Amino acid sequence: MRFSRSTTCPGSRNSADLPAAGGRTIVLGLLLGLVAAAPVHGADDFTFELHELTKKTHEIGGFVEIDGEHMEIREDGAASLLNFRDDPVSTLDRMTVGLQLHGSSTWQSASINWLGKGIAAQDDLGWSDSLDLYEGYATLRPSAEINAAIGKKSYKWGKGYAWNPVGFINRTKDPNNPEEALEGYVAAEAEWIKSRPGDLQNIALTAAIVPVWNDVNEDFGNEDHLNLAAKLYLLYLDTDIDILAFTGDSRTTRFGVDLSRNISSNFEIHGEVAWFADMPRTILRSDGGLRRETGDRTSLLAGIRYLTSFDLTTIIEYYHNGIGYSEAEMERFFHLVDEARDLYLTSGAASLYDLAGQMSTQGYGRPYAGRDYLYARLSLKEPFDILYFTPALTTIINLHDRSFSITPEMAYTGFTNWELLLRLALLNGPDSSDYGEKQNSGRLELRVRYFF
Amino acid sequence: MKRVVLACVLMLLPLVWAPPAPALDGTAILLQVDRKMQPESYEMYRKLINVEPDGKTKEYVLYTVKKGQDKMVALFLSPASEKGRATLRLGDNMWLYIPNVGKPIRITSLQSVIGGVFNNSDILNLDYSVEYTVQNIKEDGDRYHLELKARNATVAYDSLKMEVDSKTMLPLTIECHAASGMLIKTLRYSKIEDFGDGIVRPSMLETDSPLHKGYKSVMIFARLASKEFADEIFTLNYLPRVEELR
Repeated sequence: MRFSRSTTCPGSRNSADLPAAGGRTIVLGLLLGLVAAAPVHGADDFTFELHELTKKTHEIGGFVEIDGEHMEIREDGAASLLNFRDDPVSTLDRMTVGLQLHGSSTWQSASINWLGKGIAAQDDLGWSDSLDLYEGYATLRPSAEINAAIGKKSYKWGKGYAWNPVGFINRTKDPNNPEEALEGYVAAEAEWIKSRPGDLQNIALTAAIVPVWNDVNEDFGNEDHLNLAAKLYLLYLDTDIDILAFTGDSRTTRFGVDLSRNISSNFEIHGEVAWFADMPRTILRSDGGLRRETGDRTSLLAGIRYLTSFDLTTIIEYYHNGIGYSEAEMERFFHLVDEARDLYLTSGAASLYDLAGQMSTQGYGRPYAGRDYLYARLSLKEPFDILYFTPALTTIINLHDRSFSITPEMAYTGFTNWELLLRLALLNGPDSSDYGEKQNSGRLELRVRYFF
Repeated sequence: MKRVVLACVLMLLPLVWAPPAPALDGTAILLQVDRKMQPESYEMYRKLINVEPDGKTKEYVLYTVKKGQDKMVALFLSPASEKGRATLRLGDNMWLYIPNVGKPIRITSLQSVIGGVFNNSDILNLDYSVEYTVQNIKEDGDRYHLELKARNATVAYDSLKMEVDSKTMLPLTIECHAASGMLIKTLRYSKIEDFGDGIVRPSMLETDSPLHKGYKSVMIFARLASKEFADEIFTLNYLPRVEELR
């Protein structure tokens, strides 16, 4: 069945514009050459068929990907010394094949949703694989205003692109891949939504109970506790405002506020503030001992997104990590790793390595362990009339030690359901600096995804 | 004789001294155009097709619902790489929900969630009378020529020049201009169809831009029907569940 007549769109071929098409071909050749060109639309008629609109009770989709990486290893960096203590490497090549599947089944006001990912990787060090259920939950919606869910679900609270200090039950995302799916936590959730006229247009209250038991959310925090996280969303005077809270014995109590607002048709601002009560921190003292201190901490994020007339989107974010380490504290840790290497090489004793490894897992080794960072991403939409081609440049700078990562990339989505990404990440900084001590000094990545 | 002359003068008077024609009410005409194009609250399906200079195409299918003057949601049904993405508009506010990202992010009207000539404001277009005021109107045969001015800075185009068929009260072409006066794109409506329930309107919209020579985008409309929705559907929290409205 056809809903509209077969329609003809004359003039879609124009030999005068062949140089633009030639430019596209060159870029595609540079990008890959792995994918055969999509068929050209022979006749200029466009139709709408019934099967395109039919809703299915059970749906399944996802993508397969191949990801090739070449990494230049900074052999004397702290992370490399801890990770490759006995078998140092100077380069590392890895090929990863992944399959991400998601599905849903819907019956009137109830549904079941799931998301899983399987990965198999082969690199110079060996084979690894994993199969994880990221999400699997059931929802019930007695009305448009009320929604309840139970199961494993991923939470993405906060307005920031790179970081979310108010993401109290979020998994930490990778600022270089902020759109990747993340594993959720088992939770029971209830949500109430109200829309109304006036300055306060929308109100939504979300409350989630997050248990931590043996084999349930073990990596969330202290076991055998029920935790409560809540978010009150307001759309007030065209501004998104979230007020967030977390309480429970698996993690310390914390409160937060975030907001986002469009200033004009091409300018957006956003921000987050989070307050952590009695937040513990393990610190390496100057005499080599450990000190565990507890105190209230505040983290914040402020960001903008700006679109120029020539389609350059700029995202800039400043992040203050209230539980992060100062430049001096980070230096002390890096010196400890150097001393651990010297001791290990001269005597074979690994005691300092063990201490450094312990410090790394307790905070110094986590991503963005420093105190103040700047994130900037510039992406240009379809330059030179190359449709679906987006070059971008992302940089993250540790504002205290001036070390940084810079990541140019090219993405192409012109073949229906294919996504091609070529990315180079360079990490640099002086000795004993955040990015100067990372495992990689450079990383080249080529990723091909096919969606179905 | 005098009476005859007086009668003739009185009969001829309207011919030589006709009262002025009533002035055209541009606002009323724009409101008529809006109501002819779609009911205030409705659901519909759209196919967006980007056409490249070499004839290569890429298609997107969207399910769209709208309520009142300023509430609208569009959900991508295909291709698979875009499926599940949803955009919400509440007045001047716009958000994009990407399933993997899992949270709505604010977008602006001049951005484009797809490639091609259509931007977000073309995909989430409210009634013209909501976003623009009529600054000038002229009648030329069976055409009205309206000059529209954006009501505020968050509207994507600073001004529009709209050509309307005075018999059907349907738009024919719309030129979209930046504040500098530069022509950003031209929209052309065609293929008038009967969608049922008295909705007779163009089923196709083509657009091209001097900024993207040789490229064009096409929008085909289907299953446009009047329908009422709860206000709560047009909220960030409902975006992951828009599919359930179909």
